Amino acid sequence: MAKYEIQANTENCTGCLRCQLGCSNLYTKAFNPCVAYIRVNVSGADCSITFTEDCTECGVCADHCFYGALQKEPKESSE
Amino acid sequence: MTMKIGGFAGNVLDVDLTKGEIKQNRLDDALAEKFIGGFGLCLKFAYDRIRPGTEALSADNPVILGAGPLVGTNLPSSSRVYAVTKLPTSNTIGWCGAGGVNFGYLLKNAGFDHVVIEGKSDHPVYLKILNDQVEICDAEALWGKDVEETYLILRESVKMPAGIISIGQAGENRVTFSMAFIDRMATLGRGGFGAVMGSKNLKAIVVNGDQGIRVADRKRYDALSKSFFQRIKEYRHLKEWQDLGLLKSFPLVPVETYKKIKKRRIACVSCPIGCKDVVEIQDGKFKGFTAGTSSAMNLFTPLAYGFEDYREAVKCTATLDRYGLDMFEFFGIMSFAKTLGDNGIIPKEQIATEIVIDSLASMEIWAKKISLREGLGQILADGFHRILQEFGENAKAYAPSLVKGMHPYAGPGSALPWELFGTMELGQLMEPRGPHVGSGGSPTYFARRPLDVFPRHLARMGVPEAAIERILSGVNDPECEEALKIGSLLKYSHGWFTTLGSLGVCARGQINRFYSASICAELYETVTGIKTSLEDLRRRVERVWTLYKLANIREEVEHKGEVPPDQWIGESGFKNYVTQKPLTREEMALMVEDYYQEWGWDRKTGVPTPETLKRLGLTEY
Repeated sequence: MAKYEIQANTENCTGCLRCQLGCSNLYTKAFNPCVAYIRVNVSGADCSITFTEDCTECGVCADHCFYGALQKEPKESSE
Repeated sequence: MTMKIGGFAGNVLDVDLTKGEIKQNRLDDALAEKFIGGFGLCLKFAYDRIRPGTEALSADNPVILGAGPLVGTNLPSSSRVYAVTKLPTSNTIGWCGAGGVNFGYLLKNAGFDHVVIEGKSDHPVYLKILNDQVEICDAEALWGKDVEETYLILRESVKMPAGIISIGQAGENRVTFSMAFIDRMATLGRGGFGAVMGSKNLKAIVVNGDQGIRVADRKRYDALSKSFFQRIKEYRHLKEWQDLGLLKSFPLVPVETYKKIKKRRIACVSCPIGCKDVVEIQDGKFKGFTAGTSSAMNLFTPLAYGFEDYREAVKCTATLDRYGLDMFEFFGIMSFAKTLGDNGIIPKEQIATEIVIDSLASMEIWAKKISLREGLGQILADGFHRILQEFGENAKAYAPSLVKGMHPYAGPGSALPWELFGTMELGQLMEPRGPHVGSGGSPTYFARRPLDVFPRHLARMGVPEAAIERILSGVNDPECEEALKIGSLLKYSHGWFTTLGSLGVCARGQINRFYSASICAELYETVTGIKTSLEDLRRRVERVWTLYKLANIREEVEHKGEVPPDQWIGESGFKNYVTQKPLTREEMALMVEDYYQEWGWDRKTGVPTPETLKRLGLTEY
């Protein structure tokens, strides 16, 4: 599986959680944001986007974003 | 406790606040199929659980909450939450709906599609649902706090994330036009849902869960959702909608003003538009004041009531939201009270504080008086019906337009001065719950849409070809007085609203434009695994709305409540959508009859015919 550099732009994030829905569906075959490898926390005007240690950098989260809050760039192969 | 069909969480939570009992029951698969889910199942449970004649603010009135089978998936704007109960303002069995923010998907992830709350606690409580750990918790410390404070305290008290429905002081004190709020932003309950929660001593509902939602046919789902996503990404107005939200349709302030105070756009889970806002006032007396809102348009609405300073408008709306008041009904009541005061019908000494509709200071004082039931606020808190009762026949002449005891908020003399009579406008009369434009969407939305776009949109909403022809038959005939049959069309607006609400999708025009009835049938089948053709879906939708009508006929809210108010008629009243001529009472009556007939209800009385009940499998009702 290709790996990507995921860039988070918290300013654009609306907390829609489509990234967490997409991630959890890919890895657990269920929509369950609580087990996603990406975590978005929007509280009032504040927002944080973090990734768990299990993140595979597959980029599915960025593929799901409508708002330009997540973007992906292919990582150069280390081989 | 998983269900064999997809999409659904599979359980119904039953809470009796009087006895302090909590039960978790399996959702009946056959019932889910018959009434679709979400909005449809809420109405079915309401029909079964609300005894005819139940007082809205009594312990006997149950609250039914629910989220449809698409809620919790990543389909666009599939986060809608519905509540059905007996509403105190209109005394009808009615729905309240909101973009669920975080509540809908977390309720589903906790394992529940629906929550039924009955009885009344003898002290303030809140309901905590953490997966299958459900608890009725003491809320003495929260009682007296506003919506925002309650939300912040509860959010701190549970592990994030949390979905929170809460009421403010207005709901606690049973103000008949109080609402509940989801995650302090989304409004739930024009008609007095807040008062119903307050009457149960139920301050809030908190939910969190991590059980996941599964779809029945993953392969088909992936293909459908990918094509959906692509279509939305390529939509040429997407960025504009994301930037401006509802202000794009209602430019109450210049874009620069909005951008100046906009801090973050907030979306309900899975929504590509994000119509909710967090704002911060940047200058003047209220510099640094922040507010979250169901849309920036709502924040600026006091400008439509004469406010001149947008910062004061924002502060006013935030104050009303925090008390948990319905802004439209509040301003309608205050305008009426001011008129009665100006004409000496309410004595000066009883008013005590001057009512100035376009003054922030005055409106904030009155919001408090009403929410805490102080002085004249005690009477105003009970709505138009009580005011008319209290101040006698003399008051009647000054009353604004009223339908089923509530003030329609769109039309002549209302906050939204729409003058062309489309489905939303007629819908304010025909909604069993009392005036609301939410369920009446069609291409007549925001009026003046060209008629040539109608066939395409009507087909998208699931209107059968023969009905499209019937509705538009007079469009090319310049002599035809009823070029567009608004009454007949409204049936399909209500049907489309039922479709989206039962699946769990937001009904706002900016979102539903990406959906069609045939896609909805396909999505429902894909997610749930229940075989569903477009025709199957149409029949289930008809069943749901007809049951809704039956529930209110049983409450004796029928044809007599569906008479246009005087203010809608004549030169200053509503205009024909096509000819733009003032509408007569007879023309409106014809539309009402057309609406009944299109549903297969008696043309004169609005009672569903035995044939219709048989066709829909509702003969036992």
